[in-house]
Parts: sequence; structure tokens; C-alpha cells
Amino acid sequence: MQTPTIAEAAALIAARKLSPVELVEHCLSRIEALDGALHSFITVTAERARSDARAAERRMMAGILHGKLDGIPIAHKDIYCTRGIATTAHSKILKGWVSTEDAHAVKLLADAGTSMLGKLATHEFALGGPPFDLPWPPARNPWNTEHYAAGSSSGTAVAIAGGLILGGTGSDTAGSIRSPAAFCGIAGIKPTYGRCSKRGIVPLAFSLDHAGPMARTVEDCALLLQAMAGHDAADPTSVDRPVPDFSAGLGRDVKGLRIGVVSHWHETDHTVSRAVCEGINRALALWRDQGAEIIEITMPSLFEYQAANVVIMMSEAFAVHEARLRTRAEDYGKLLRQRLVLGALMRSADYVHALRRRAELCAITARGAAKVDVLVTAGAPAEAPRIDSVPAWGDLAKPGFNHPFNITGWPAMSVCAGVGEGGMPVAVQIAAKPFQEATLFQVADAFEQASGFRSQRPPLTA
Amino acid sequence: MIRTSREDIELLIRRAGLSLPPAQIDEIHAGWALVEPMLNRIRSEGRGHASEPAHVFRAEAAGRVVKDSEAL
Repeated sequence: MQTPTIAEAAALIAARKLSPVELVEHCLSRIEALDGALHSFITVTAERARSDARAAERRMMAGILHGKLDGIPIAHKDIYCTRGIATTAHSKILKGWVSTEDAHAVKLLADAGTSMLGKLATHEFALGGPPFDLPWPPARNPWNTEHYAAGSSSGTAVAIAGGLILGGTGSDTAGSIRSPAAFCGIAGIKPTYGRCSKRGIVPLAFSLDHAGPMARTVEDCALLLQAMAGHDAADPTSVDRPVPDFSAGLGRDVKGLRIGVVSHWHETDHTVSRAVCEGINRALALWRDQGAEIIEITMPSLFEYQAANVVIMMSEAFAVHEARLRTRAEDYGKLLRQRLVLGALMRSADYVHALRRRAELCAITARGAAKVDVLVTAGAPAEAPRIDSVPAWGDLAKPGFNHPFNITGWPAMSVCAGVGEGGMPVAVQIAAKPFQEATLFQVADAFEQASGFRSQRPPLTA
Repeated sequence: MIRTSREDIELLIRRAGLSLPPAQIDEIHAGWALVEPMLNRIRSEGRGHASEPAHVFRAEAAGRVVKDSEAL
């Protein structure tokens, strides 16, 4: 059996043509067969998944399914706290620590009936990676295990692309959902800041961290976000506003929508590969053919967003880890330790300058996008590089395409846009105005459906 | 712009209460060279005195009661 999408599995379960128990066993067999090479899991909770699946099967037989996620096997990035199950943040620092509570998003997805298969690899504390000096190895790209899966939600992207799970959770502070989604050929959305509660998720940088779902398709991401979104009074950054039907626009064309493309980002600020450029152009052509208006717009350079993002992220991250860095520096992996120390070198005034710049960039971005419904840019600059060629300082040397939407908090998602010359996926990124995820899903789904890339899968044999 | 010297980096690391071997300080010095241009970008001489940062203190949130279990 080929691992189905969430939507496909949900339809089969609703029709009693697929057993949630059999679906979990299928995933467990793929984990057993493939994860020795992929390293996507830190902890596999086979008995928990089987128990969840049996409960879902009873609901299926009784005709009382909780919804489209009932009986769907998922797993969580290992910075999401799980009651009674170790949460490591992929770090020796937290090894053996077991939370007494589920993260809010973990509880919501459990309440929706999902079967929890375990905890997934990440960069250490969502920042230090790919890590080679930690108790667990970095996740490997299923399209070619010699290649990087990006980060930090690497395990989630790898497990989904490899068909080990149907969906999962990620977090995104500077692209950590969208970059691995892009490199692994799946879909991932960073919702609007405040749309999903961060309670119970180990922080990287409080004011930039976003929780969000990852899955094979846009449609599946919409289903997962439907369960994850909503106000949480216990998270001070959670926003109290209605959650719309994120699937409402799926399957519809984009006639009448205005799509902005910021060409200078991918042509000048950070030149992308030919395959990525072709992917963007292909998406624009498809939307134009469906009746959308394509509008060229100008924004601040990517370097501006990167500067504010990096200074805020490093300052906040150092504050989170300062005490442990002083007493247990040797227990951190080298990459994370070095990156955290950069935050120690920044001045308090630098942090405030970055926050003031953030406010300015939010205002400029809103003005620049006033006449469009969504923005389009690259998901990543090129195909995934070899994992042994990733520079120690990560993405500091060149500005990323993700930073504008962590700085502004706008929802943004990565969608597969084909396969490049090296045989690895490339992606486009689509962003919408705050709390306009439904429009974002509509535009992304229109491209995904028309392009046919959603059916592409990595060459794995279980 | 004056480039931060390796000695300055070592001093700042020590002031932060951290103890790192010399080789790691060398590497951090190299990484800091990528961050310094970013610091210049966010420092604007033209910014007004009253320009507020992106997130500010809000009094209504200050009275929120937090359960012990919410603290990670």
C-alpha cells in the first residue's frame, strides 16, 4: 500500500474501507524499514499509536468519528511537549525529561482523533543543525539520504515525504517549517502569528516562534490547521478571533484574485536556481490562466528582514539558554552553542533597534502589498545541498526568503514546484495578509492541483 | 564601521559568564563578521525618538493569572 494523503485516508475511513489500526501498522512497518536510514524519529510510540488507532476504529464502527483527522497517524516535532513521553528538543540538555502536560496543539490534535506515532528529529532546540555531535543523528532527505533536509522541523518533513506518517507538527522562527517542506517536496504552513497556541512548545525566540502543520498536500495542511488553530487564553500571544473554514476555497480557481510577485527578492537579493525560477514562473502562468491578476511589486530587500530576524532571534534565544550555557556549555552541540553565543555579543540597544525596525518593516510590507491578496516568492533558493556541505553558520551569509513572514507574522506556506536538475524538489512560497490563511490555501491548492507535483514521491523502497 | 576584534569578542564572551576554548572563540569571531552588517542595518539615525518597537508592554496583559503548570 502506498501511504495515502490525510484526505484520502479520511474518505476511506469514513466509508469503513480503511482500518485506522491497519493504517498505523502500515506506518510502523515503514518506520521499521526506512527510518534506520532517514533518522526522522527520536521516539517511536508504537503502543500509544496502536491504542489511539483502536479507539478510532471503535468510533468508525460506531459511526461517531470525530472528523477527518480521526484515525490519522501523525507525529510531533520533539519540541512539542507530550505528557508521559520524553521531549528532548534533540538535545542532551533535555535527554530524559518528561513533561507532565501536553502542548496545547498536541492536545487539540489528540482530541481530533489522531494516532500519535512519536516524536520527530529537529535541529537542537530548533536552531543548532544539522547536528552530528548529539545523541541522535540529523534527519536525512528521503529524495537522497546524502542530502540535507533543512531545519529545524526536519524530522517532520522527512517522515511525511517518506510516507512514515501522514502529517505532523513543526515550528517556524526563521523558516523552520517552510525550508524543510521545500527541500523534501511536501507542503508546510506557518500560520499567522497568534493563530496557533505555542503553549507547551519549547521556545526558540518568543516573538518569532510559530506553530504549524506539515503534510504531503495543501489540503492536508488545511485539515491539520483546522484542528490546531484557535484562541488559547493561557498563551499571551494567542489571538482571540474566529477560526474560518480553511478548506472553503480548496478546489476553486483563483479568478479575480490579485497575486503579487516580488521579483527582486529572487532575481537580485538572493538569486535562485533555474529550477526555482521556472517553478515561480510556472505558478504565475497557471494562476494567470485561471484569471488571476499578476502584479509586480517592490518590497524592502531581503537583507532588511534578515537583519531584524537574526538579531531578535539570537537575542531571545540566548536569554532562553543563558543560565544553562554558563553551567552546561559542553552538553550543547557545537553548532547550537556557537549560534547562541552570538546572542550574548549583542547589546540591549541592538535588540530594541531590531524591534523598532520590525515595526517599520511591518508597516512598509503592508503598504507594499496593499493592492494584492497574496505574495509569491521562492520556497528555498535551490535544491537541497549535500548534508556534509552545509556551512557552520547556516543561512547567515545570505538572506532567506522566509524572514519577511516571520518578521511580519503573515501566514506563508511552501508548496512543491517540481524537481530540479539534481533530482531534488524545489518549491514556491506563497504568503497572505494576517489571518487570511483560507485565501492562502486556495491559491496554493490551485497551483498544486494544476501542476501535478503533489503526486511526486521520493524513490524509497520499504 | 569598526570591525570587532577577536580580543573584543573574547572579552564579551567572558563578560557574559561563558568560558570557551580559544578555537571556538576564533570560529565565533568569524561568525560575528556575518552579523555585524546586520546590526548596522537595524540602527537607523533617521528614526524618530518616539518610534515604538514591534512589541510593547501592555498593562491589560500584566494582570493575567498564570498557572504553575503553564511554565515550561
